[in-house]
Order: sequence, then C-alpha cells, then structure tokens
Amino acid sequence: MRFRTQVANASTFAKLTASLSSLGKVCWMRLEEGFIRFTIIPDQGTQVWAQLPVDSIFEESTYVLESNTGVINLEVPVGALHRALRSAVPAKLSSLRLTKKGNIPLLALTIRTTSWTTASNALGIPDSDRASSSSTPTTTAAAAANADPDPDGDDSAGTAQPRPSGPRERETVITQEIPVKVLHESAVEGLHQPHCRDPDVHIMLPSLMQLKSISERFTKLATESKTVAAGATSTASPKLELSANMHGSLKLAIVSDAFSISSVWTDLLNPSLDTCGLEQSAVEQLPSERLRALPADDEAGWAKVRIDGKDWSRVLSVGRLNPRVVASFINETALVLYVFLPGSWNDEESCLTYYINSYSI
Amino acid sequence: MTTLSFSLAPRAIYQLHDALMCLSKFGDSVAIEAEFDLLRFSVLNLTKTAYSAFVCEAETFFETYSFGVAMGGGSSRAANPNKFSCEVLIKALLSAFKAKSSGRDKDTAIERCEVELQEGPSDVECKLIIRMICGLGVIKLYKLNYEAVHVQHAVFDKSSATNQWSIEPRYLKEITDHFGPSAEQLDVYSNHGKTVFTSFTTKIAEGKEVLRQPVQTSVAIDKRDFEYYLAEDNLHIVIFLKDFKAAIAHADTVDAMITARFTRPSRPLQFTYEFEGVKAEYTVMTRGEAPGDDLPDSSRGAVPQLSARQTPAPVRVSQRSTAPDTRQMPPPPSRSRSVRPLTGTATRASQANTESQRPPPPSVEFDSLFVPADDDGQWDVPNEEDEAPAEDELGWDATGDQTSTGPGLRNTQPSLEQPTREEDEMGIPPTQRMSQLHGLGLFD
Repeated sequence: MRFRTQVANASTFAKLTASLSSLGKVCWMRLEEGFIRFTIIPDQGTQVWAQLPVDSIFEESTYVLESNTGVINLEVPVGALHRALRSAVPAKLSSLRLTKKGNIPLLALTIRTTSWTTASNALGIPDSDRASSSSTPTTTAAAAANADPDPDGDDSAGTAQPRPSGPRERETVITQEIPVKVLHESAVEGLHQPHCRDPDVHIMLPSLMQLKSISERFTKLATESKTVAAGATSTASPKLELSANMHGSLKLAIVSDAFSISSVWTDLLNPSLDTCGLEQSAVEQLPSERLRALPADDEAGWAKVRIDGKDWSRVLSVGRLNPRVVASFINETALVLYVFLPGSWNDEESCLTYYINSYSI
Repeated sequence: MTTLSFSLAPRAIYQLHDALMCLSKFGDSVAIEAEFDLLRFSVLNLTKTAYSAFVCEAETFFETYSFGVAMGGGSSRAANPNKFSCEVLIKALLSAFKAKSSGRDKDTAIERCEVELQEGPSDVECKLIIRMICGLGVIKLYKLNYEAVHVQHAVFDKSSATNQWSIEPRYLKEITDHFGPSAEQLDVYSNHGKTVFTSFTTKIAEGKEVLRQPVQTSVAIDKRDFEYYLAEDNLHIVIFLKDFKAAIAHADTVDAMITARFTRPSRPLQFTYEFEGVKAEYTVMTRGEAPGDDLPDSSRGAVPQLSARQTPAPVRVSQRSTAPDTRQMPPPPSRSRSVRPLTGTATRASQANTESQRPPPPSVEFDSLFVPADDDGQWDVPNEEDEAPAEDELGWDATGDQTSTGPGLRNTQPSLEQPTREEDEMGIPPTQRMSQLHGLGLFD
C-alpha cells in the first residue's frame, strides 16, 4: 500500500479541511485513481460527502497510489490535518505521503518554505569586523569575500566565525505527522450516501457570508430571549426555518415566544435540472416542476425545512471556499446542499454534498 | 528600615509590563530583589523546572533609583544587609502597569511612574506604593501588599556550558507557529548543517485511540540562520515548549538576539538576552538523550526497574541566605520527578507514565503565539464552547486518562515516544497486511 503526492493547492485543501472539521472530528478519506473523497458522518448533524478530482488539490503527475484494490481508505483526524495544512499554505512545495512509525500509520506532510533574510548587508560588503581586522590590501579582502559562499555554512558545527550577513534565501523544512487509521474495504462498503426523494424546490443560495451572518444573528437573538424568558439554559439550540419557492425566493425565519423575524431574498436563480433521459411527461411530474407551475404568490409553492441554528452555521463555514451552492428542499424532510468549488461549476465530478435533516416542530 | 524608591519613564513602564506578562507565564507571584545597583524580578515555577528573571540595572533602566538599608536592623532579613527581597502577586502588579494599554486618550497618558516601598512595623502595613503620574494632573495610586521572603535563584554556570547558540527570536517564533496547540515538549538537535526543532507530547494511545495521538511537528532550519552556533551534533535536548515560547515571545517583542547555553541533557539550559538596561535569563531543566553512551550519567544503562524514588535532578537551587526561614522552600516534592533525567529506553517508558499522570500544566493562553488568524477565520463557527478545546486533540481528556496510560502500555512506549526519528524513512514504503485490518469499523 503506497500513497504519495505533491500538494498542488494547499490553500483549497486547507480550507476544505477547515470546513469539514467544523462538522466532525473524524473524516473518511478515500483515495482512488482520479478521485479523492472526503466523508463526514457525525453522530448527529449534517453529513458531508465530498468528491474532488485529484488535480483539484494534488499534483496529478506526482500522485502515486498503489493498493491491492486500487483504493485506499483512511480515517483521518480532520482537524489535525487542517492544522498541519496551514503550515503548507504559504509554502512553495509540500508533499503528502502515507507512512508509518512503529505501528502507527501516519500521513506525513513535508513542507519546504523559503523566505529571504533581512537585507542587513544588501550590497554584499564584507562584515565590518572582518574588514577592520584585515590589514591586508583590498584585493585580499575581496578574495576572502568571494570565497565566503563556498563553505556554505555546512562546516559550522564548530565555527564561531560570523557568517556573511547579507540577504539570502533561507529554507525551512517542516514535517507534520498526522496519525491515521487505514480502513479495510469491508469496513466502508456498507456506507452509502443518503437517498432521498426528488426535491420540491431547488434554488441557488445567495452570498454565504451574508446568509451566515444573518443566520447567526437570528440564532443569537433566539438563544438570548430563550434564556431570559425561561431563566434556565436549554441545551437545544434554536431552530431556523428555511424555505424557498421555484420563483427565486428564499426565506430565512425564526419564531420564538417573544418574536418572529424573517429575511427574504428574491430574484435568485432556480437552476433547471439535467433532464436528459427523462421523458417530457416524467419531467412534468417532478415535484419541482409542479411547484414551478404554481403562481409566485401562492403559499403552496413553498418548501420548508427546520434546521438547527448552530449546525447550519457550521455548514455555512464552507463559504470560505467561495463556492456556488444549490440548495434542494424536500419539504419538511431534508435540505441537500450541492456545493460546487470555483472553476468546477456544473461539474459533477467536483462537488460537496451536504445532507441536512429537517426537524419536526 | 529599608528604603527603596524608583521612577520610570513611559518606555520603561511598557517594558516592565511586558516583562511581567512574560513572568506571569511561569508563576503567580514575582519575587522582587533590590540591591544597590539593580532590581531583579524573578519567578521560579511550582515544579521548579523553570526559573526566569529580569534584572533591571539601576543606572540605565530607571529615571531615578535609590535604595538604602539601615544597618543593624533587627529583622530576619538582616542576613544580607545589602539586599531587600519581597514577593508580590503578579496579577496585582500587572493591573497597576496595565494602564499602559489605555494610551488612547493622549491627554491623560502616563508620563511617569513612581514606586516606593513602605515598610511598616508589622507585615500588614508593608506596602508597595505605585504612583502613576498621568497628564492633566491625574495620579493613579496603587498600594500593593508584599511579603518579605527569601528568594531562590537557579544557578547556572555559564563558563561550563559547552554548547551555545544565538539566533534572532523571530526565526524561533516562526518555528513554534507550526506547532500544534496541544504540543507540550520540544526536542532540539542538530545534524548535517541543520537544526531540528520537534514538538511532541508524551501521551500514548492505542487501538481506537490512535487518531487521538497528537500531531508531531518537526521544523528543520539551516544552521546559517543562527548568528552563532557551537553545539554538539545529534545531542537531543528536551525542554517544555511552554517555557520556550514564553522566552522567545518576549525576546521577539524587544527584538533582542537570544542565546542558549547548555551542556547536556538533564543539566539546565539557559536562555539569555539583553535590551535597554535589562538582562533577561531563563533557566530551564532539560531532558533528552545524548549521542554517545560515554557520559557519566548515573542513570544511564540502568535496569528497567529504575525507581521513581531515584534522586531527582531538579534545577539546582542555591539559597542565597543562610538564615533559617520558615518560608524556605521544601525539598522538591515527589511530583518533580518529571524532571528526572530521561536517558535510557526503559526509563523513558516509566517516565512517560509519570509524565502523563502529571496534572495538566496551568492553562496559559498561548493563542497569540500561533499563526495569526487570517480572513479565513470569519468562516469559523462561533460559540464553539461545546467543541474540543484544541483542534488537533480530538477531545482528549485533559485530566489524564488513567486507563490509557496504564503500565500495560509500557512496552509500546519506546517506539511511540521516539520524537526524532530520522528523515530517512522516506525510502521505506509503508506495508500493512490486509489480513490485519479486518474488523476495523469506520467512525466507531
């Protein structure tokens, strides 16, 4: 079993792991020829199934994957992976490989960063003490200066001599070793993406930053009013009501004993489904098409889900990847988010799918 | 009667504040010692593994400085008549000097600080008076109680230190930025023109716990990054990362070249630097492994049953005063065995166990030392008090999980604990039999 690659896009990889780590501590990372899959299935809360082409985060030409089954399944502490990847973001070159130390399999991330030392001696003038101590003619001093780069500091184990202090490139090698667990195919073959019926409404979400801040504001208000009113802290976090119709409207609302607030977005896009392979009559039978046929002001045209405020906030942390998000509403049942990374719009191959259950009242 | 009074210019006030902040990472109360030509602030931590001191020179650091003792005084401090020492809570002292941060209001900015010692006939009346003289005639007055004590110093013989290096602290800070927030210890060694800093945590986990193993980070920098480097190759020195970070963070704020001096593992290591009339020194205990087996270390090559009762090797402490004093510190308690020299493989196993049972270190916020949050941070989820305390800890029980550190795991320890495995593993492909992998559940 062998896995080794250079990381081509450490920034995206780091942001991806950051978003994933907000939803769960452990991630199933499935390495295949051509694809990488990240899956988070927390005890409760939102599931994520992400599939990315290798070249979206790794250098495809250096991607080495050897295994009996052609697949490597790893259980990865995704928070630790994210922390390690943060060191790689500013680096030019970093590589990831599967190795082991003793009995513990590891993902070893080796990062080479370079930086420039401060230009205290920008003109390359020999050190002042060196110059002053040498009473020899200037030609000798120049020769000494020229000879300087040769020792390259490698003999420095015992040298007390000041080195040339001019600007130079300095290299730092960072190794982050993340303990992982190798999973056998049999351990993961029972895991499948959730199956749900055809959505009632699908709609492009507005700016996630905006959505996130408004959602958090609502959640905070509800939490405060609840603790003030009840006088006791309730463990359940407030539930947000998210609803949308097929006429470009999205509504975020929260209702408590003390208040009811909502925000409505309009003129959003309801993307059309990929309907090839379906007959016209079958397309018309789709729930979303039936709702599209209803007039815009008809209350029956809305699909609604109730979601946990905190969990929703964690889900929206995927906004750091600056993606486009299509939300599929299954009325009173579930919300499915299809998150497309920039540059991969409508590319089925690169998509993060979030499955969010709706709470009943 | 002892008289002590001094005054500080604004810049010195800031520096004293920063120094006290640094000292507060080592302990709760700071010892203040006044002599005719200097004032020393020092802290020896509870486990006596780290001592840090800032010596302010009377001539250069203060605007005015006067210290006098009445000869033949009947107090117990008469043992050394040329010195006065007392102890103050750092928090209390910091709150007085904290005022520096409220410099937004230019009119009432601090212009001067005057400190005076008021020694009364009884201890209750002993006060340290701090007068902050601000603009527009505002005077902030602080009266702090102090306790007269005898102060212990860690002794470090610079002349016998065989290894020494100096470096700009920002390089060290860059290194620690890569370490995980839960890392506890730091191993330093050099090899082939590189110096390697490895952060690790001596916690063990097995089976399902594998994913809770802390991330081990090693950072290799070129020896050329050092201003001066004269140290034995392959000499592993292990110190507490917390102490290291405290020292370099302060050295970085004053932008002073930091120098480390040490001889070998299980002997103290000292960091020193100087800035504007202040000498800072940190003496910390080391553990680790020497390259050869020829060192006259008593515990080297000892049998596996090396007793925990073996004489510990705490920071060598000398009592400056010979006078008997009830406040004299007791001999190192048994928990100080965590500084016991860690030399053989076998001793390391038992060491790790005592290590993991050690109470968690006082929670000091080092957040500011880590990689600063970029814009990406706005996507983080707020109010995550119910989340794990440290992101790469996976919910480790900070109180020390006794079940997972039982003696039964000792056998596995040496391989896990090896923090400085050579980089040459690169060539060996990982192999794992599929047959060993049955029954591993996902997310179990």
